[in-house]
Amino acid sequence: MQLTQSQPKSSAVNTQDFAMLNSERWLVGLHILSAFFALFWGALMGPFQTFHRSPAFVAAFPNATMPIFSYYYQALTAHGVLNALFFTTMFITGISYYVTWRSFNRSLVGMPLAWVAYVLELVGLLLIFFVLLNDPQRSAVLFTFYPPLIAPPIFYIGLVLLVVGSWIGLLVVFLTYGAWRKENKTARIPLAPFGVMANYVMYFLASLGVAVEVLVLALPASLGLIQNTDPQLSRALFWFFGHPVVYFWLIPAYVSWYTMLPIQSGAKRVFSEPLAKVAFLMLMVFSVPTGIHHMFADPGISSTWKAIHTVFTLMVAVPSFMTAFNIGATLEIAGRNRGGKGLFGWMFTQKWTDPVVAAQLMGMLQFITGGVTGLINASAQINTVVHNTSWVPAHFHQTVGGAVAMTYIGIMYWLLPMIRGRALYSKKMALAQVYTWGFGMTMFGHTLGEAGLAGVPRRTLSGLSPYLSEAATYWLNANAVSGVILLISVILLYANIVLTLFASKEPVTEGGYTVTKGDPTTPAILERWGLWVGVAVFLAVLVWTIPFIDAINLTEGFQILRYSPAGPAPLK
Amino acid sequence: MALDKYERVWLTAVGGLIGSFMAALMVAYLIFDIRLPTFEGRIDPANLSNTKFANLGVKKLSENNYEVVMLAKMWSFDVGKDGGNPGAPPVVRIPKGSRVTFYVTSLDVTHGVYVEDHSINLEIVPGQIARQSIPFNRPGEFRIICNQYCGTAHQAMYGTIVVE
Repeated sequence: MQLTQSQPKSSAVNTQDFAMLNSERWLVGLHILSAFFALFWGALMGPFQTFHRSPAFVAAFPNATMPIFSYYYQALTAHGVLNALFFTTMFITGISYYVTWRSFNRSLVGMPLAWVAYVLELVGLLLIFFVLLNDPQRSAVLFTFYPPLIAPPIFYIGLVLLVVGSWIGLLVVFLTYGAWRKENKTARIPLAPFGVMANYVMYFLASLGVAVEVLVLALPASLGLIQNTDPQLSRALFWFFGHPVVYFWLIPAYVSWYTMLPIQSGAKRVFSEPLAKVAFLMLMVFSVPTGIHHMFADPGISSTWKAIHTVFTLMVAVPSFMTAFNIGATLEIAGRNRGGKGLFGWMFTQKWTDPVVAAQLMGMLQFITGGVTGLINASAQINTVVHNTSWVPAHFHQTVGGAVAMTYIGIMYWLLPMIRGRALYSKKMALAQVYTWGFGMTMFGHTLGEAGLAGVPRRTLSGLSPYLSEAATYWLNANAVSGVILLISVILLYANIVLTLFASKEPVTEGGYTVTKGDPTTPAILERWGLWVGVAVFLAVLVWTIPFIDAINLTEGFQILRYSPAGPAPLK
Repeated sequence: MALDKYERVWLTAVGGLIGSFMAALMVAYLIFDIRLPTFEGRIDPANLSNTKFANLGVKKLSENNYEVVMLAKMWSFDVGKDGGNPGAPPVVRIPKGSRVTFYVTSLDVTHGVYVEDHSINLEIVPGQIARQSIPFNRPGEFRIICNQYCGTAHQAMYGTIVVE
């Protein structure tokens, strides 16, 4: 805590420092800790889900139940909502504040708003816990909550609070940018907040879809204000949001790879900052017009629009390929600076024993398989083979469970010590966590992907399925082994967090990782936000208007009754 | 903004890769006629009596050309009398080499239709009719699996297609 006291009381933060002002410490710290609190319960369910999907486990322990969320689909809902919605959003809000604050080298505009946002997100999280524990069967609608499955109202209210909180966080970031811009009329935006802003623009546009779905269709149906719902329209609105949101999770990881990893790895700076900005803008523009690739098998969307969204989905892979080159080149510089020789020598001289760097490198390795399987899913006709099979969760556990989660964990390994004012309790434990997670998640992806090709459906308590083939049984049992490895990794992760908070005695010696200047050679057009927001909105309107009109079913659509996942009788 | 030489090579290669993927998808769509499900019509699950789904079952349309009209509901598939024993998951029999067109709708929530080792994968959205047509060329028993979460007993929702 000495470090805090040695800080000046002014609002300017010393950006090269790993010390924190108390205001920054509490705001960023509570977001990060709340995010990891959500992840704990969500991630803890994951391994137990693999056990209960394994026929061998179910045969050996027929009476075993899962801890806390004891009903399988309740645990599955918790796993999705807590990990994919709350962990990501609360972490992103916190890290976005940190990046904005430090890179613009000024305190946030609207601190009271930022605190309101935090309280909303936290109350949302507690409501979700309450409804899942209190009403396990009826609230088990999974994190996609497709109507006509309708959960109790508190479920939707929790989600609304999360989204409204994230919108307020977005407002704080843009207010701060506005203030910075007034003080720096001609400067280029530093790369990190540029990525954060592109991310928020894309997220805000996308979240309008899910906001309409929840506020107009799902919540009123749950409250009993309307007796009917429209499933096809709900799905279209959800996937307007549902695909861009995966980039909302990914872009902060890219921000770390582009702006923090160069410092951490020893490259000093990213290979090409202008191209990094191009990549961020492409992600912002091309993320929204892709969502129909989640509805390739839907009857109420025309095959023409499915084809058009396929083209945009392949387009949005381009910024990721650009990132692969840019980060690869940066890492090559880092490896050569550290003595790597020859064509491949630089790969072996990376900081493989530094948990912050190793976590991100392992995340990137998984993103290779995650990205390739993503291109497979996006290929409209091939999707028929894998749609709604366990291949799909195998894919996104390489992307969000691999690249995104590992990068966030890597960030936490330097940010938590700054927040606490004490060094990470054990780097060795962190390294063991990183490699068990990397190996476990890769094995998880491979085995669950093979199970999917053998016909195992996703989001299914397969351990009790009467129809599994021999191959499916084999791969599901292998998948449970990866669950054991991941359970060890989760325990190592949280043991280190708790010990860092309460038992670490060493002072912090590293952290910060901020660049306060943008590359002056960046073309000015890349920072004309009005133009790029216009392009993003134009594309979204262009490729979504007709599918929405097609999906709206004013006659039969709105006659669909509401159901609980607990039984076949419609809700009264 | 100068592009590095290797970066230009990389971006060209990426452009070629994405371009060839798009071309392959177009070829599959336009030449091999592999189409994704598209509009087949809307339906009110509470009023099936005057629709195609009033008569569930397997119909022979012509030589090697069959139609399966099926209802998905919590937590079973229903193909009427052609599914065999009423209390058990349905078993549908199809001669080898037939082309079968599936018509499926949902009585309640969203379901899925997937057939092991065959290219059929349908999201059964209430209020919509789903249709897909596929050939069955290999003899054997293949499971029809509900692959969209539909509530408590989702894991037990299946049927069987016997290709003879």
